[in-house]
Amino acid sequence: MAEGVPSTVWAYRALFAVLALALLFLRLLPLGSAAGAWPGPDLLMCLTFAWVLRRPDYVPFVLIALVVLLEDLMLMRPPGLWAALMVLGAEFLRSRTSLTRELSFVVVWVLVAGVMAAVVMGNRLVLAVTMLDQASLGQTIIQLVATILCYPVVVFLSRLAFGVRKPAAGEIDAYGRRL
Amino acid sequence: VARDRTSPDEFTRPIRRILVAGIVLTLLALFLLWRIDSPRVERFRAALVDRVVPSFDWAMAPITKVAGMVEDFQSYTRIYEQNQELRRELQQMKAWREAALQLEQKNARLLDLNNVRLDPRLTHVTGVVMADSGSPFRQSVLLNVGARDGIRDGWATMDGIGLVGRISGVGQTTSRVILLTDSNSRIPVTVQPSGQKALLSGDNSSAPPLEFLEKQDLVRPGDRVVSSGDGGVFPAGLLVGQVAQGVDGRLRVRLAADYERLEFLRVLRSHESERITEPGALIPPPVLPAVAPDADAAAVVTEEADG
Repeated sequence: MAEGVPSTVWAYRALFAVLALALLFLRLLPLGSAAGAWPGPDLLMCLTFAWVLRRPDYVPFVLIALVVLLEDLMLMRPPGLWAALMVLGAEFLRSRTSLTRELSFVVVWVLVAGVMAAVVMGNRLVLAVTMLDQASLGQTIIQLVATILCYPVVVFLSRLAFGVRKPAAGEIDAYGRRL
Repeated sequence: VARDRTSPDEFTRPIRRILVAGIVLTLLALFLLWRIDSPRVERFRAALVDRVVPSFDWAMAPITKVAGMVEDFQSYTRIYEQNQELRRELQQMKAWREAALQLEQKNARLLDLNNVRLDPRLTHVTGVVMADSGSPFRQSVLLNVGARDGIRDGWATMDGIGLVGRISGVGQTTSRVILLTDSNSRIPVTVQPSGQKALLSGDNSSAPPLEFLEKQDLVRPGDRVVSSGDGGVFPAGLLVGQVAQGVDGRLRVRLAADYERLEFLRVLRSHESERITEPGALIPPPVLPAVAPDADAAAVVTEEADG
């Protein structure tokens, strides 16, 4: 597979957008998430962080911001807040891609879990400061735990189905730059 | 891995950082704008939902249908027990129906005797549920009727039996219903035999609690809860559900509407109730015949001269 050819990169960016829309679509289906039911994982968060750590060029921050902002607007969340936190979390991980290459998967998983927890708690903190009412802490934690547990699955599936993996040492892109 | 010093990244990195900071600040500004001037942003959101969700409709319909069929199939497996149960219920219902008919006639006679003026009859618009909130923390559904069909914010929404929620957010062809279970929902209700007023406030659980009950002792599990019409938002007398005691000892309401299957919803057209806005004005004395001011002043001057 030709790594890093611009058209491939753009294809993956489009794929990310399509996957995000598909996730949004699945959540909007009127199949009834009854009140008080267990909240499922936030798969878009898993997908974003997994891809940022593997191929940062596939998920530019503008794309993350747009996709999550759309999700904010469609899911009746306070618009902009979750998107801003997701961009910050993704940028934090992006600046540590070269570090995470040398770490084992479990350590990276713990790091990602930490970032996810920080994003969720940051969201709650801002909502509390601006005196907006929010979901109960228990449900939020259940969702966070589900999201953290889903992360390896998303990593595995995006590698298996879409071939998103870390570039091997010494791999170069179309311009001869090291990845 | 040490990066190549001559890579173009080296030059674009500071610009990138500024751009990231810019986009984060823009998003936070949007959040603050929403916090300060929520109606404007919510109108934008309604317009966006109005544009996006109907375009998903072609894909949503078949998936929803298939899921419904799977659910139906599961219920076929215990069709015999269901049949027995329905027969029993039908027997009971027949007895109730007789009682209800007699009561209705009696009620009509009594109302006629007392010359009671009833509310104008409520008419409704029926809509189909297109999408739900998509988030486990928000309880709302999207209907396929909107401003085009004359829907307005605040109108009550029912399924066949009980109250489901109220309209909050109207687009051109869609409107959002905040369900009674949503944590933003507050509905004034009356608990039936005792007539106690309370507030039904959603808390994201399937049975919302009753708040601000004046005398808890008068309310018992099993009492009927209907909307009270206080505040002029909702029509009075719509069935909400039954009182039940939660595991935490609070009085909660088991909702009458079937929240598991919200498919067709009725939006009740509420008529604008006449509002009394002014306090009663003073009743002035009848106006006196006007006296010419010059003559008055002259009279005062002469009086002073005399004294």
